[in-house]
Amino acid sequence: MSLERKFSADKKQLTVVADEVFDFGKVQDFRVAFSTDIEDVEEVTIDLHKTAYMDSSALGMLLNMQKLLSAKVSTFKITNTRPQVLKILQIARFDKKFEIS
Amino acid sequence: MRILIVDDDSLNRFLLVHMLEQNGYPDCYEAESGHEALSLAKRIQPELVLLDVMMEDMSGFEVAPLLKAQTDEIYLPIIFITALDDEDSLVRCLDVGGDDFVAKPFNKTILAAKISAHARTRELSKKSYEQNQQLIFYRNAVEREHKIVEHIFGNAVTNDNKLLPYLDFKLLPATDFNGDLLLFSAGPNGGLYYLVGDFTGHGLAAAIGALPVSQAFHAMASKGLSVFEMAATLNETLLKLLPGDMFFAAALVHVSLCGTRLEIWNSGMPDLLLFNAEGDVIERFSSQHMALGILDADEMGKEIQRYQSTVGDRLLAFSDGVIEIMDPEQNMLSEKQIEHWVAAQADVTVTELFERITQFSQNTSPSDDLTCVSYTCQSLLALEHQQTIAPIPFHLTFDLDASAIKEGDPVQSVVNMVCSQTGMYALHARLFTVVSELYNNALDHGVLKLDSALKHSPDGFEAYFDLRTQRLAQLSQAEISMTLSFDPVKRSLIILVRDSGPGFDYQLRLKQASLEDCFGRGIQLVAELTDSVQYLDAGNAVEVMFNV
Repeated sequence: MSLERKFSADKKQLTVVADEVFDFGKVQDFRVAFSTDIEDVEEVTIDLHKTAYMDSSALGMLLNMQKLLSAKVSTFKITNTRPQVLKILQIARFDKKFEIS
Repeated sequence: MRILIVDDDSLNRFLLVHMLEQNGYPDCYEAESGHEALSLAKRIQPELVLLDVMMEDMSGFEVAPLLKAQTDEIYLPIIFITALDDEDSLVRCLDVGGDDFVAKPFNKTILAAKISAHARTRELSKKSYEQNQQLIFYRNAVEREHKIVEHIFGNAVTNDNKLLPYLDFKLLPATDFNGDLLLFSAGPNGGLYYLVGDFTGHGLAAAIGALPVSQAFHAMASKGLSVFEMAATLNETLLKLLPGDMFFAAALVHVSLCGTRLEIWNSGMPDLLLFNAEGDVIERFSSQHMALGILDADEMGKEIQRYQSTVGDRLLAFSDGVIEIMDPEQNMLSEKQIEHWVAAQADVTVTELFERITQFSQNTSPSDDLTCVSYTCQSLLALEHQQTIAPIPFHLTFDLDASAIKEGDPVQSVVNMVCSQTGMYALHARLFTVVSELYNNALDHGVLKLDSALKHSPDGFEAYFDLRTQRLAQLSQAEISMTLSFDPVKRSLIILVRDSGPGFDYQLRLKQASLEDCFGRGIQLVAELTDSVQYLDAGNAVEVMFNV
């Protein structure tokens, strides 16, 4: 089941909306979501407003995405985190690699 | 129309009755004296009185006011019949309460015309009286309905009294119903949420929106949602509920368990002011979004303002009624004035602020609802442990063999089962993360013997996933068991996960673990989210503990 995603008008910004449970079961969907039609993308935002549950494999998937896209994408953002999810990102020091809000 | 004729001369009476009958007024009554007139009037309730002035016993001048006095609220026209023609007497007719006069001998036409005119006036009076009665009836009905609404409001829009020690607030509605709203609730993880809002206008129409907002707010706070999510949901609710020209300005604040990390959403309220312990303004959180109930979901911005404050700092929020209140010279209070008051006395309470406001306005009653909330940053740890917790100890065991393992991911079911117990819901997000970590480690590395190193190659994640799926399908002999035990006395939840694999050199791996590798990240998460982690036996068993 594919993840919701949105492009900005100029196709330079991509937003991917993660599901309520963000774990390894989503690895394929996530890959498809962040790597399809991204020729012009310079900024990627992962919107976590739906996400209530996250584990370390999700952290790995985010880092993996960053690794794969770093050639063309200069800005990686994670937005709309719920307090508990934000905590997980902070424990993993993700503020060093992502702009978190 | 019932006409009463009062004259001591029987011939005059006869002539009048006859004349009236001819002019279409057959319903006439006669009285020969003032006394008889008064008692007859009480009985028959005349609608018009023709009153002779010169009578022996009581003169018309004496009778008139007495007749008027004994009628109901409806106007009773009294026309004097008088032979006197001097100005003073005629004026006296009107002075004593008469409404008109005709001279004797009277002109039939004139008399008929006057009767007709006064009858019209009486009709008007009757109508006005009936309308008055209706108004009184409706006013009583509305008051009764207001009482009912007040009762519903009193029960539906409630707040958790547990939080009273942490918030200083005061609400002063301009009318019976408050268009301003203050809601507060503890979060599931010991944090605190509060909402200060202002519906357009005030009175009952404005206050109606408070009901759905209150229910939604409490439901979302108990789930630990972010302030943006709460705002978005409230926006959608109000968009559907409120008429097009009404909206809800609101500020949402979430304070974390430590009591100092603030998340603020301000859509349409005046600046929230953050003061330090000395009373100086250190930050202003101004409105960054349109009020709720206006924009479509996709037009809403998502920015939350975050701030790390220190214990003793103080966040002050108020509705615009407060800063727009005017003094007798029509000067507005303004934010600056409030800042001065706090600078002058850093620990000024909300009640004291309201006293100063009343002084400023010199008691002119405010035309808008007034609301003010103050939160002083302090540890909220006490809130976390006030949650009532499952009173019975429980022991859940999940023994999964190969076919059960192949069935699918049990983590969500396990978490749901534990969190269904009273007071355990606060753990749900952390529990998921930890159980998922332990179970997947047991499965991937213990049972399926996958190597995380595979994930590091370019398409490693997908390759790992494919290999995992393959090995899982081929799995014939394996066991993973999970036990979760809760001790209500110690308030601790202990989780033990054991797999049938060979284990690993955990001492070594733990030493080498860093945040750069999967194992390191995973173990770091588990260590920080739980209160203890311990690998056991050959490394194929791990036990963690949560203090609830």
